[in-house]
Amino acid sequence: MADILDVISSRQSIRKYTDEPISDEMIDKIVEAARWAPSGENEQPWHFIMVKDPETRKKIGDLCKVGTGQRGTAEHCLGEDHRFDVYEDPAERARVAEFYYSGMVSYFPANAPLVMVVIGELKGMMDTPYDLSAAIENAILEAHSLGLGACWVHGPAVYPRIVKKIKELLGIPTGLADYKMLAIVSIGWPSGRRSHPQGRKDASEFVHWEKFGNKKRS
Amino acid sequence: MDTIAYTNDLLYRFEEIFFHELSQINARCKVELVGSDYLNDRNIQGNTIEELVENCVQEIKMDGLVQEMTGKVGGKGILLKLNMKGCIHLPKEVKLKESGIDPYMCPLANMISEQIITKLNYMTTYSAGLEVNEKTGECLIYCAVYKDMDSIGVVSDWSKE
Repeated sequence: MADILDVISSRQSIRKYTDEPISDEMIDKIVEAARWAPSGENEQPWHFIMVKDPETRKKIGDLCKVGTGQRGTAEHCLGEDHRFDVYEDPAERARVAEFYYSGMVSYFPANAPLVMVVIGELKGMMDTPYDLSAAIENAILEAHSLGLGACWVHGPAVYPRIVKKIKELLGIPTGLADYKMLAIVSIGWPSGRRSHPQGRKDASEFVHWEKFGNKKRS
Repeated sequence: MDTIAYTNDLLYRFEEIFFHELSQINARCKVELVGSDYLNDRNIQGNTIEELVENCVQEIKMDGLVQEMTGKVGGKGILLKLNMKGCIHLPKEVKLKESGIDPYMCPLANMISEQIITKLNYMTTYSAGLEVNEKTGECLIYCAVYKDMDSIGVVSDWSKE
């Protein structure tokens, strides 16, 4: 059996796509991968709304922009956007910060050939958010293994008002008791490589042996 | 029975669990509707955001939710800065701080934000920062208020407001 670590470690969050559509066979494989995710009590609470319509995708992109931008603008105004201090060039820092606080960093689902909106049943369920997260991870790994690019967008889903607007847009019952909207996954053919591949922490920073704080391997 | 103390104890525990379950930023974003219903049955009006905020503040003070309160709009129209003293929810903020959690939910700010959205058709709002001084009993709330899509990304230095 092939080592899945190669797929996992080579995946990137892809936010730029070509206009090339995704075949139904590929979409079905992505759904199939999500379908095999683990879930509490095997409840499989997930539902996926697969959106191809450009107008709907644009509206989703706008709401994603609002979700990130409303927080990003405030954080910038309060001087709380220290995450961009990694950019040493002030001009580059300003450009990246603006891309973030304007919300444009999250607009990309509008330009993806496929947007997968992930919602889950709540009533009688044990672990809906975690089950949905496992399904999303499976989906984006399968997309990557097919040569596609994907990005998991959670930002707009944290605001109840924006969630309601997305639910209205897609005909999902809007009550908070009905379905949880966890995230949007944009999928498409990658347009180039990411300009800033993200690294990962060294395992020694977060692995503890036997008890929290003990970094010496047992 | 002290119903306000009882309510604050419940809110404190809910917020503590919310923080634990969702992490800091997500918890803050999720609670935007808590308190939003309170003023909905009042016929509060205002032709401008300044007028509407002032009328909300008067209503909140008359109800005894807070002893002193002012609201000021600045930051190129994006910032609603609320100063208050003697809020009935101060005890739950103190308990949160004692448990190591920065206060993140102001029901009073949320009820004003809801009025701004529903009465003036603002697109969205975001409670960005809460500063609680348990010694003086004062709170300072920074709310971002966005009239439309174009107001997203309109930045300024709020520390100078």
